[in-house]
Amino acid sequence: MLQLIELRRRFGDVVALDGLSFDVPEGRIVGFVGRNGSGKTTTMRITLGVLEADDGEVRWRDAPVDADARRRFGYMPEERGLYPKMHVLEQLVYLARLRGTPKDVARARALELLEVLEVIGDPQARMESLSLGNQQRVQLAASLVHAPDLLVLDEPFSGLDPVGVDVLAGVLQREARERGVAVVFSSHQLELVERLCDAVVLIDGGRVVASGTISELRAMRARNLWRVEVAGAGDAWWAAIPGVRLDDRNDGVVILELDDGADPQRVLDLARAEGDVRAFGPIEPSLAQLFREVVAG
Amino acid sequence: MTESTTDRGAWRLIARRDFWVRLRERSFLISTLLNIAVISILVLARAYGGGGAGPSFDLGYVGGPAVAQGAAELGAKAGVTVRVHQLTDEQAADAALRDGSIDAVVVGDLLVAKSSIDTTLGGLVQASERNVRLAALLDQHGVTAEERSEANAPLGVQTLEPPPPAHRPENAQVAFVAVILLYGQLFGYGIWVASGVIEEKASRVVELLLSAIRPKQLLAGKIVGIGVLGLGQLIVVATFAIVLALVTGAIKVPLSAIGAAGLVVGWFILGFAFYASLFAAAGALASRMEELQNVIVPINLIILVSFFISIGALQNPDGTLVTVASLVPTSAPLAMPVRMVLGAAPAWQIALSLALIIASTILLVPAAARLYMGAILRSGGRVKIRDAWRAAA
Repeated sequence: MLQLIELRRRFGDVVALDGLSFDVPEGRIVGFVGRNGSGKTTTMRITLGVLEADDGEVRWRDAPVDADARRRFGYMPEERGLYPKMHVLEQLVYLARLRGTPKDVARARALELLEVLEVIGDPQARMESLSLGNQQRVQLAASLVHAPDLLVLDEPFSGLDPVGVDVLAGVLQREARERGVAVVFSSHQLELVERLCDAVVLIDGGRVVASGTISELRAMRARNLWRVEVAGAGDAWWAAIPGVRLDDRNDGVVILELDDGADPQRVLDLARAEGDVRAFGPIEPSLAQLFREVVAG
Repeated sequence: MTESTTDRGAWRLIARRDFWVRLRERSFLISTLLNIAVISILVLARAYGGGGAGPSFDLGYVGGPAVAQGAAELGAKAGVTVRVHQLTDEQAADAALRDGSIDAVVVGDLLVAKSSIDTTLGGLVQASERNVRLAALLDQHGVTAEERSEANAPLGVQTLEPPPPAHRPENAQVAFVAVILLYGQLFGYGIWVASGVIEEKASRVVELLLSAIRPKQLLAGKIVGIGVLGLGQLIVVATFAIVLALVTGAIKVPLSAIGAAGLVVGWFILGFAFYASLFAAAGALASRMEELQNVIVPINLIILVSFFISIGALQNPDGTLVTVASLVPTSAPLAMPVRMVLGAAPAWQIALSLALIIASTILLVPAAARLYMGAILRSGGRVKIRDAWRAAA
């Protein structure tokens, strides 16, 4: 398990991280969500040791992260980049060897990754001769080539076409499920995070504002909204139940907000008495909605 | 446990990559060929240019050969070659002077030239003429051979200091080649270090690298890899130059040439160790390749000034400026080998110079490494030296 404990970091007068803490268990995929400038990249850089924290600790498998542990981490920086003039395969093997992977193993794994990630082109081609999409895939291969125990990916999906997104999503799931890799990635594509992640960490202003599984996050939200569609219903039929208010209405569909004490079954009973109930159910907020709510305070 | 061994392996991997990538680059091939071409021209010019052991002249005579031959004998003692040519009459002498096949001609009591006479040649002929007249006078007065040789006995020679090596002119050319080679190598490979650093920064690959290894390993690997390449090229070019010089007879003392080559190699190692970390730090301050020329200007100037002082040292290896330059670490890698090849550097100065450059390298490398580490991950424009220094604190 990766543990980030009370990380703090300032850049001059700007507080980038303000006591940030969260865990990434092995075999799990954790989505890291926050606005631009909320501290995601700083967190990842500190995790990889590229940047020093002013305070706080990064622990891996219950020990402070050292050079040995770090060699078993895979990283895809926000600022993409490999040697432009180096051959693709040679480059991947080199990066794996820098992290202590034997040459033969690195070569076999690099070739496998180039195939799995569907990198089109000659493995002997120069990096700069590849299309941007292919360069992005090679960059992903570079983070995976040494078969890491922890994957830290900064915006791995940005710049990928829908097919590329599916391919990468499949690779991440396989790494987590089959190899037990701890995966944490940042993304602004929240549907993707929702679909792919076992847990989500929402940060804002350099601190975690919410974290947990999607359902835990939903349970945490303040508002309890129900969507009701009743054919031929009159106006304000719900007003008879205490603790029920109208949130929104649209073309025969009403969104009702229920207080903690209010029983949804009472609402349903009343609705059936009113007319033909076509739809009734709680509104599962999307991650995007939760994010907006949480970040907006 | 395995940490230390893998850490040691990391800089070796980096060194190997920096070595091989550049070895395969066309610019390396071109610079090797260019070096060999320049060296060949210098060696061949010496072998066939006639400039070898000193000035040489062609002296004609009409009539008696005594004066002309006497001038040639005197010239030989002074290291001046005078080739003597017999001419049938004044018309022939006139023609030979005009077409330049002779520099001057002795006709009876006259020394004739086309427009002017070289002072060396003129002096030799005048002295020879005096000798001939003197001999005639002595004959006239019946002076014996013993008396003559007694009168001709040369002055005893004594020096306050041991004489300079006998092969100075030859060594001056070796030193010239040495300083050209060293300058090109230090400068060229220094720039390769700086541009290698910028390449990693500009392409952003450095962040990925530094997530796997420490900045010091990256810096050390790059300097060693590029340095070994420069050293290898230097050895190839120097070996080529020595073989060519021996085959063509440009150099008569092979040991001095091999010694000079050893000096060049040794001082390249010292000079590169001194300068490379500075070039790396300068490279780290830039963000784009276009800024390369700007960030290396200060280092550039220091090496260039050292180069010119060292070229001056060829003429005057004992001058104050040259002596100081051969001790100061920034210029010692160029100035000291020149003085050493010319035999102008006493042992204590060599020892002092070595001690100074080694000590200053030991002090400089951590400082340059700190600048490098403070600047290497900062992108977007030039990094100020102060900011880089503080960032790595």
